[in-house]
Amino acid sequence: MYEYFKDMASGIEAKILQEPELPNPRKKYALEVARLSGRLYSGKDQVAWCGLAVPFDLLNAMGVTSCFVEFVGAALASIGMADPFLEEAEQAGFVGDTCGFHRSVIGAARKGIMPEPDFIIASTCPCSGGIAVLENLAHMFKKDLFVLNVPQEQSKQNVQYLAEQIKDMIDFISRHTGEPLDENKLHQAVAKTNKAREIMQDMYRLAQKVPSPTDGRLLINFGIVMLLFLGTDSAIEIAQAYKDEFNARIDNGIQGVPDEKLRLLWIQNRIQFKNPLVELLEKEYQANIVSDELNDIYWDAIDPQDPFIGMARRAIAKPLNVNMQSRIHHLQKLARDYKLDGAINPCHWGCRQGTGARGLISDGLKQINVPVLNLEVDCMDTRNFAEGQLRTRIEAFVEMLESRPRPVW
Amino acid sequence: MSRRNEKIGYACAYAPLVLIDAAGYSPYRILPMSACPDQAGQLLHDNLCPHVKRILDRAIGKDLPDLAGVVFINSCDAMRRVCDAWRHVRPDENIILLDLPAVCDDAAVAFFAKELARLMEALSEWSGRTISNSDVQAGIERYNNLSDIFARLRKQLRQGKLAGGSTAMQTLYNAAMTASFEKSVARLQQALAEPESKESESDGIPVFLFGNVLADPEAFSLFESCGARIIEDDLCTGSRLFTPLEIDGNKDLVLQISRSLMTRPPCARTFDPAQPLKMADDILTRAQASGARGVIGQTLKFCDPYLDRLPMVRETLRQAGIPLLLLEGDCSLRSIEQQRTRIEAFIEMLV
Repeated sequence: MYEYFKDMASGIEAKILQEPELPNPRKKYALEVARLSGRLYSGKDQVAWCGLAVPFDLLNAMGVTSCFVEFVGAALASIGMADPFLEEAEQAGFVGDTCGFHRSVIGAARKGIMPEPDFIIASTCPCSGGIAVLENLAHMFKKDLFVLNVPQEQSKQNVQYLAEQIKDMIDFISRHTGEPLDENKLHQAVAKTNKAREIMQDMYRLAQKVPSPTDGRLLINFGIVMLLFLGTDSAIEIAQAYKDEFNARIDNGIQGVPDEKLRLLWIQNRIQFKNPLVELLEKEYQANIVSDELNDIYWDAIDPQDPFIGMARRAIAKPLNVNMQSRIHHLQKLARDYKLDGAINPCHWGCRQGTGARGLISDGLKQINVPVLNLEVDCMDTRNFAEGQLRTRIEAFVEMLESRPRPVW
Repeated sequence: MSRRNEKIGYACAYAPLVLIDAAGYSPYRILPMSACPDQAGQLLHDNLCPHVKRILDRAIGKDLPDLAGVVFINSCDAMRRVCDAWRHVRPDENIILLDLPAVCDDAAVAFFAKELARLMEALSEWSGRTISNSDVQAGIERYNNLSDIFARLRKQLRQGKLAGGSTAMQTLYNAAMTASFEKSVARLQQALAEPESKESESDGIPVFLFGNVLADPEAFSLFESCGARIIEDDLCTGSRLFTPLEIDGNKDLVLQISRSLMTRPPCARTFDPAQPLKMADDILTRAQASGARGVIGQTLKFCDPYLDRLPMVRETLRQAGIPLLLLEGDCSLRSIEQQRTRIEAFIEMLV
């Protein structure tokens, strides 16, 4: 696997060098993903499997190669390799009603595909299934497990509790790496996080332009994966490349989707395996997915003098952690900022956290005149992908959007 | 002034009944038993826990007594979602969601104690009456008295001497979950005073039952009619809810309540990071100690905390040579009735 990702990174680097004058944002993003994957399999790095709400900039500052486990599931699905691992997990008793991201990881671990971690850090956010899978991995790999309990509300008490846990997490990491936290490295990492945050914020504002410079593919998984690179130069470089690309497109009158007619929001996760739905939307209806729920800056800049409080606030603020009322407010804000016509909610089978309240989300967006298409899909499992049915529902939804007056924003 | 006739709703075994009682209210478990139509799917996805959807059905269908408020626990995704939906369906109701850490180290216990203090403030606000330390102390006494009587009844059940067996036991649990402690104590003492059963309840193959929500006494009748004798349970609608609080003196009562709630036999969602999947060993230990010849696991469909840990439970019991039957339910007897053949076959295997 290490050689595979090393070759992949070399190939992407070569392509970037062929066009050094271009921003190449997606290639730079893919390069960093390949590099991270390579490091996970290198056998040289200290590796931690984590939950989604872990402060990865802090782990980067401590020299730990870390990754939320759902990343592995998504990577397997994107290259069409998830199904055998899903089957492996199911045969071991992990039923098909659970989340495919997690089942594929269990299957991969059982088949020896997951690199052995040095330790594991779970977080209660985003979901009950995620933390249970990390407990399983800790048992399977016989590795020490640390748990971050992420409360739901941004109260002073909750923030303080999580900040204290983050400090305990540092001690836990140090015990395993033998290295204490270097305050200078932490300050540098926080500064880089804040810089990347600022550029990403600018970049998202550019994506909000009508017509949008982005399309339905450029920012797939972006907001969620970028968390892994926070605290590093790579995060800044990737964010800057996107910003440069969007500026160049705007300056040159290049639209993400030519003759953009409809602007859509994608709620929560993308479908991770190859599928024709985005192409259908863009080519046949000029409907552009201009925004993803998780592609947003939902946290404040982190105070370098008090970084753990800022990291705690950031974790609590995650759209998948807050209560549904707050999550709906965030979706409504995105609808206004991006001047949306509609939203697509791929109700990922097995997801109780994100998908669970789909009716509340539909009602919340309907309040501001944004219709929602709820699709029944499994974002990970091609075996449950009913393309014909999904195509029919998307077509009907888009035709409905076309036939109604566009919202006035 | 006592508000014994006023009820505070709850839906999770981690709810601090003792504080609800201390505030002068009756804790009322919103059980997933109702004849009202399935409507929760309007708000919650089909793949969500049937327990929370059923209790939401009760809210939508107005199949609830008057409630002065509802206490939700942030114990799992499903509980979070039902709290969100409850706010939507009953926007004028007093509602509080308490965060509950997944682990129970000292920091987590201290944090949950602060959540309990927040609940006490809310209850005081709802009732207009401050909860004093002596109120809490009295609540603990009442709760522990109730739990002690349940412990004696459980002993009778284990010995096959409880009239009516596990069906009667579940009926008592349900009554106690939905009434004031005083009324429940009176009813339980009556049950305790009944003559011990001499024969029929000791028939059947002794079985240990674990899982989450199984409140309908008819489900227990079904087990018994299949030849099983449930001698001990680990259910959140059973013994887990009435386990005595371990309190030492009058100091830091809320902290002690917090610790006691978090360290009682846990739901699968609470675990010790130092001993991953210890739940499987715990079930084995309890099953062996109870003298059961087999184990039935009854969990709800779509319950991730259990679904993701059951493979290890199965493996652990297999290695120990303890037969296991896993059933998946949806809070209705529609599905459990379908399991009759499986239960009968399982019991025949144990004979």
